[in-house]
Amino acid sequence: MYSGGNASSLPLVGGKAEPTIKQLSKPGRRASRFPKLDVPEVEISNSALTSIKPTLPEVSEHDLVMHYSRLAHRNFAVDLGFYPLGSCTMKYNPRFADFVASLPTFANSHPSTPSKFTQGNLSILFELEHYLTEITGMDCATFQPPAGASGELTGLLIIKKYLQENNLQHKNQIIVPDSAHGTNPASAKMAGFEVVEVSTDLRGMVNIEDLKDKVNENTAGLMLTNPNTGGLFEENIVQISKVIHDEGGLVYYDGANLNAIVGVCRPGDMGFDIVHSNLHKTFATPHGGGGPGSGPVAVKNFLREYLPGPIVIKKDDIYEWYEPASSIGRMHGYHGNFLVALRALVYMKLLGKEGLDELGSYAVLNARYLSSIVSKVIPLAYDEPCMHEFVASVKNLKKSHKIKAYDVGKALLDRGFHSPTIYFPLIVEEALMFEPTETQTVDTLDDLAATLEIIIQELQETESSFEEYPKNLPVGRPNELIPAKHLTVNWGDFELLEITE
Amino acid sequence: MFVPHSEIDLKKMFEELSIETLDDLFKHLPESLKLDNGLDLEPSLSELEAISYFESKEAINTQNLICFAGGGHYDVYLPHTVKTLTMRPEFMTSYTPYQAEISQGILQILFEYQSLICDLTDMQLANASLYDGATAVAEAISVAINKTKRDEIIMSSGFNPNTKTVVNTLIDQQKFPVHYISLDENYLFPENYEFTEKQAAFVISLPHYEGTAQDLTNLVSKAKEKGLVSICYIDPSMLGILKTPGSMGFDIVVAEGQSMGSSLSFGGPTVGWFATRKDFARLVPGRIIGESRDSKNNKTYVMTLRAREQDIRREKASSNICTNQTLNAVGSTIHLSWLGPQGLQEIGYQAIQKAAYMKSQLIEHGFTISNNTNSLREFLIQTKNDSSQIIEKMGARGFLAGIKYSEKEILTAVTEKRTKIEIDSFIQNLLEVDNV
Repeated sequence: MYSGGNASSLPLVGGKAEPTIKQLSKPGRRASRFPKLDVPEVEISNSALTSIKPTLPEVSEHDLVMHYSRLAHRNFAVDLGFYPLGSCTMKYNPRFADFVASLPTFANSHPSTPSKFTQGNLSILFELEHYLTEITGMDCATFQPPAGASGELTGLLIIKKYLQENNLQHKNQIIVPDSAHGTNPASAKMAGFEVVEVSTDLRGMVNIEDLKDKVNENTAGLMLTNPNTGGLFEENIVQISKVIHDEGGLVYYDGANLNAIVGVCRPGDMGFDIVHSNLHKTFATPHGGGGPGSGPVAVKNFLREYLPGPIVIKKDDIYEWYEPASSIGRMHGYHGNFLVALRALVYMKLLGKEGLDELGSYAVLNARYLSSIVSKVIPLAYDEPCMHEFVASVKNLKKSHKIKAYDVGKALLDRGFHSPTIYFPLIVEEALMFEPTETQTVDTLDDLAATLEIIIQELQETESSFEEYPKNLPVGRPNELIPAKHLTVNWGDFELLEITE
Repeated sequence: MFVPHSEIDLKKMFEELSIETLDDLFKHLPESLKLDNGLDLEPSLSELEAISYFESKEAINTQNLICFAGGGHYDVYLPHTVKTLTMRPEFMTSYTPYQAEISQGILQILFEYQSLICDLTDMQLANASLYDGATAVAEAISVAINKTKRDEIIMSSGFNPNTKTVVNTLIDQQKFPVHYISLDENYLFPENYEFTEKQAAFVISLPHYEGTAQDLTNLVSKAKEKGLVSICYIDPSMLGILKTPGSMGFDIVVAEGQSMGSSLSFGGPTVGWFATRKDFARLVPGRIIGESRDSKNNKTYVMTLRAREQDIRREKASSNICTNQTLNAVGSTIHLSWLGPQGLQEIGYQAIQKAAYMKSQLIEHGFTISNNTNSLREFLIQTKNDSSQIIEKMGARGFLAGIKYSEKEILTAVTEKRTKIEIDSFIQNLLEVDNV
């Protein structure tokens, strides 16, 4: 079988370890050259200055380029193969967005440049606000939060300030489902709230009865993704919102799973008051090996004046910064990850109404198809129609053959696919969470399912230890204890460790 | 767009799912929530149309402003080699390196990044990046609070006002009041300041926001005597000529890392550096990469000390950070390696020489520098007219003159990129726009 998403041809295989840039360093080599100083040199004295040179590697430019290019060859990426990584929305990142982000004044304007000289930049944020609020069903937005977790904290600080201004300080509990991302409870704690967990019912959705029990006069709000982390649409969402609103709390939408519903339905219409979006997921900006992301927060009008400022407004065709009257403050030194926001707008413009209207539908089609064919190999956690992602479980294989989710993930790496998300959500035993996104072909989905079948077969039959998987990659499973125990987090440390042991 | 399916593909998928239309996928959703006519948005643009759309947006930005603004973000030369290597798709389009076996590239670069920062600042452990300099200061303060179990924060007022707002937003002022200590008449932190044992952290910027700098060894040692955690916010592009924070005794070093590896980007994405001592390891926010061995004893890099992080510890995590600024950290790594010791020293040295020239020329032409004596690459020019107006008028003449500091003062920065011709022209234009 051939498929576009299979990366098993990659020359990631074998070879020696790449030395560090420090090991390539030799005194006197350098890559950098600067113009000669063109002003008269004077004696400058200050007690903080030193003439001792900083400690840095000394390498030629060619050595530098070869080293980092070789490291690039030791890395999986969306541009190389399929990431069926649940909850991460690893879709294709259009090259064209990088071109736009490199246009000179987009890439090079200083963040303190007055708005008079950066009308183009402000117009980008203004336009993006229009797209984002239409897609989510909200009224206005801030682009300061540089990532989803920061967006969550922004939303919670808005809830806190709103409650304070309405003399409702006693409301100090945030309800979070037991299936939620770890950032939800961590953000709630950072904002000074007490975290109350609500359970999941047998169908994989918020347990409404438990929710009703947990809601009381101290309820400040609820954080929820919809679809939830099991990939299921919370069918009672309107009722859930009402339960919280009736008690005077606010409802927060974690946009981690927004890709499933773009063009299908909107958080604003479900009753959510605050929504964050992960532009690096839903709107196709590159993940960058773990960042930068962007986590804009959109709210209904009654919360507008609490947004971190400044936000962009338009007056008589002029874009201006506006400081909301009861702003919670700032979540970023300047305007958030502007170039990420710009890339997201490029993506939205390329898709336009036609593409965005069908975005969620195709994301769900791919996931539903993949769940159908994967379920023939590995049982699904829930017998419900999935949205953009689904959870399978190998708990039976663990009982019968000691095959863990971890082993399946590692064996997949060997065969040219990234692992799905494993052990999440926490409430499903030996969970494998798949999210194909809308940009993979049916061939790639078929190939993944067929590969899973081969792997399960092989793992059941093998005499050798699962610890040997992966076998065909530059390195095998790392010993995770060494760095945690000996703190080998700096290039001098391992040498020290080897001398002392 | 970017949906790959042909009619034949769709037929196959629909058959597998026993559906006839895409709408059939959503039979279980409440009807009242479904969008009947889709979204109220403009039709799609082809790539060709999008080029002119975005180029016309870009064109309404004022072009070619010569940058004399700083305040944490500096117009340092960013080499093409660094840009193109950082933008390699293997780095740019990869996910967080949870799967170490296929992520050795990113993991090794982040390990090099941590090590380079430790070497440069004289610290022992750096994390794999935070959002930016401002949020890094707030995270460092949280670490100090957790370490000391004390409530009060002593912070120098010599910080970018936005950084102070971020700190005031992220640190709960009711529980942990932040006291801002004004700089003295020489724009230095008062050497005679006395710390108390109630205080958790001493937070100071090197150089100060106003551009002045001082050896902080004595202050840090006084803070240490009272059990405070000392936090230094540094300008990385000055690290080639400044004494290291480690040598001054600091416990935590943070930085706005934009000038190392990221373009100005209208403020983001950039990167927040965070480095500390090993005994703080378990309080550090964000990801940390460690060196290990695999089963065949090959060198292997892997994410470590994971038990601090939100995906495992949930509400007990050291921070809620998940997505960070890895690609900008990759940029910092490659830029620092490109610069080498001579290069980093040269950009610092040229910046302060050019600033010294600019200050002397300004004074010669009748301007007053509020902090001439102790300032290095950045300083306060006193204007005769309203400073916002002067900045606007200078903008119309092709100069970003700096950041408004007060009604009659502009904070102006010089990098190694500025030329004598640009500086002379700046002063000539300032003379013309700032007359009485």
